[in-house]
Amino acid sequence: MKFSLRSGGLAAALVGALALSLAGCGSATTQNQGSVSLQETGSTLLYPLFQIWAPAYTKDHSDIKITPQGTGSGTGIADAVNGTVQIGASDAYMANAQMSADPGMLNIPLAISAQQIMYNIPGLNHQHLHLSGQVLARIYTGKITMWNDAAIKALNPGVALPALRIVPIHRADGSGDTFLFSQYLSFSNPTTWGSASGPQYATSISWPPVPASLSATGNGGMVEALQQNKGGIAYVGISYLSQAVNDGLGYAAIENKAGQFVLPTAQTISTEAQSLVGQTPKDERVSLIYGPAQGAYPIINYEYAIVNAKQSSSTTAKAVRQFLTWALTTGNQPSYLEQVHFLPLPPAIVKLSEAQIAKVQ
Amino acid sequence: MATPGKVRALDRIMRVATGIVAGGSLVAMAAILVFLLRDSWPSILYNGGHFLTSITWNIGNLYSGAVSRHNGVMAPHGAAYGILPFILGTLLSSLIAVVLAVPLAVGIGLLLVEYLPRRVGDSLSFAVEMLAGIPSVVIGLWGIAVLIPWIGRGLGPWLQAVFGFIPFLRGPIGSGQGLLASGLVLAVMITPIIAATTRDVLRQTPRETKDGALGLGLTRWEMIRAVSLPWSASGIFGAVILGLGRALGETMAVLMVSGSAVNYLPQNIFSPIGTMAATIVSQLDSAMTDPTGMAVHALAEIALVLFVMSIVVNVPARLLLSAAARRGGEAQ
Repeated sequence: MKFSLRSGGLAAALVGALALSLAGCGSATTQNQGSVSLQETGSTLLYPLFQIWAPAYTKDHSDIKITPQGTGSGTGIADAVNGTVQIGASDAYMANAQMSADPGMLNIPLAISAQQIMYNIPGLNHQHLHLSGQVLARIYTGKITMWNDAAIKALNPGVALPALRIVPIHRADGSGDTFLFSQYLSFSNPTTWGSASGPQYATSISWPPVPASLSATGNGGMVEALQQNKGGIAYVGISYLSQAVNDGLGYAAIENKAGQFVLPTAQTISTEAQSLVGQTPKDERVSLIYGPAQGAYPIINYEYAIVNAKQSSSTTAKAVRQFLTWALTTGNQPSYLEQVHFLPLPPAIVKLSEAQIAKVQ
Repeated sequence: MATPGKVRALDRIMRVATGIVAGGSLVAMAAILVFLLRDSWPSILYNGGHFLTSITWNIGNLYSGAVSRHNGVMAPHGAAYGILPFILGTLLSSLIAVVLAVPLAVGIGLLLVEYLPRRVGDSLSFAVEMLAGIPSVVIGLWGIAVLIPWIGRGLGPWLQAVFGFIPFLRGPIGSGQGLLASGLVLAVMITPIIAATTRDVLRQTPRETKDGALGLGLTRWEMIRAVSLPWSASGIFGAVILGLGRALGETMAVLMVSGSAVNYLPQNIFSPIGTMAATIVSQLDSAMTDPTGMAVHALAEIALVLFVMSIVVNVPARLLLSAAARRGGEAQ
């Protein structure tokens, strides 16, 4: 094939010109004619809510555009810390070590969410199996391998459990859901999972090797992995509950600290929230897992916006403050939250969050 | 107007310029090596030799606040890094890819050179080269959509039914994501490269020797066995090593079909695996949450091991291939 230097050079010049002109189009915060573009990334549990919030907010405030992404809480924290995005969404609050490394970070709760344990057992998906923290820890360490194990049978008398191999599914990415689930396992198994030699809790833990286990990315990936694997068990955020139940998957009644087996309903979540929100410190980094109250659902959390107190410009900071305040007030109304089964923040927490938002400059 | 002095000066400028550009690639490689060493040095200090032999990948407990110190570097309490599962995953998936791809690719090369008429051979050649140009993420997507369900429901059960006496093939099949899927995807990716290079090497077999063999009464296949293959052997071997080098470093497609396994070794051919390249990608976001930075240093150490491995594999391959090309050139 003949290749002449001139035609090749011309082609290269055209491609280069096109690339350069397109490169000028995007940037993290573009400001033209007073409009601000905010980037949000992180928790896939919060993502469905952000997908509802973003267009609703822009409809009323056309000068601020928000782009949400669902990439996992670990990425949300990391990207907010290094300034790639303005708002990092995370189900997990930042660790003390992370806060000392980056003292200017704010963990601002926006709503209360929860997590459920889902499974795919043909014939039993319409039933709510009873599962305890001890049984779940033993499943995820490979000590319980079959659904008809004696320990599961003991919690579910009268249920015809099949001789089906359990496939424990966990998150491969840095995940706030992993944080919540592993915290529940740590608090309910303080001498094994929660001990210094156990996996303990974090957005990314060292999962004990279980030969049949699988990993998935994002809450969506967890639901998909469950659908494809009979006998699978996975921890999924509550914003995916309706969709997963529609797909025919089942979810469990989990044992709380008081020894009861509860389902994640608005009532049980709110009971847990009420018993623990009093302990929320000023920086709002607190765990709401495994509270002592009766009738409380043990795996709930604040959905955090991880924001750097120092933003790139005062215009951006103002836009961030405006949006977060909107999220706490209008965004916390049932018309938004009910679609994802979240609960609004109690008024005392809203005040604490507003105090933190004011620090964004 | 080109005076002799001007022409000589231009010649010198071109020589210097091309020398700089050629040297630039060596400098770039050296720069990458230096960067990798510098970025992975804390992890080398912290993990030592255990890095290559341990099975556990643990970024430590970020929320306990405690910190371990070893050899003067800090990491979160309980952090321990070992990449044996990833080394094994990389080697096994590449091995499967080579075992599947080599007979196929050499067969394609022979077909294109020896059996097909020139025109048909050329257009088929073109198709093979187009296959080499498909982005790996596209092949990964095909793997997720088509290959994995097929392994889980079709190929897996069939293999267990027919070859179930082999221990490595027994055991749970899972969803299809795993070692076999990675090996198949890699085989698809390296076949075009090996086939194209084999075809080029086979074409250089001297015509007279081939015609002589045919004239002596050998059949075409006997001629190939007696003349073409021995002549091209080192070149084909170089092509295979080149394909192996590509398979070792392939990231995207393997990331999508391998199952991202951490902390355990593959139990059978259907086990989820992790490869070094895919693990760097899948663990990067988690590693960035580590405030001490040790997790990112550990990923850089994986990259260093991968870099060294690919040089060790690619350099002899290139040398073999250039030796084969020189021999082909001499014979003409």
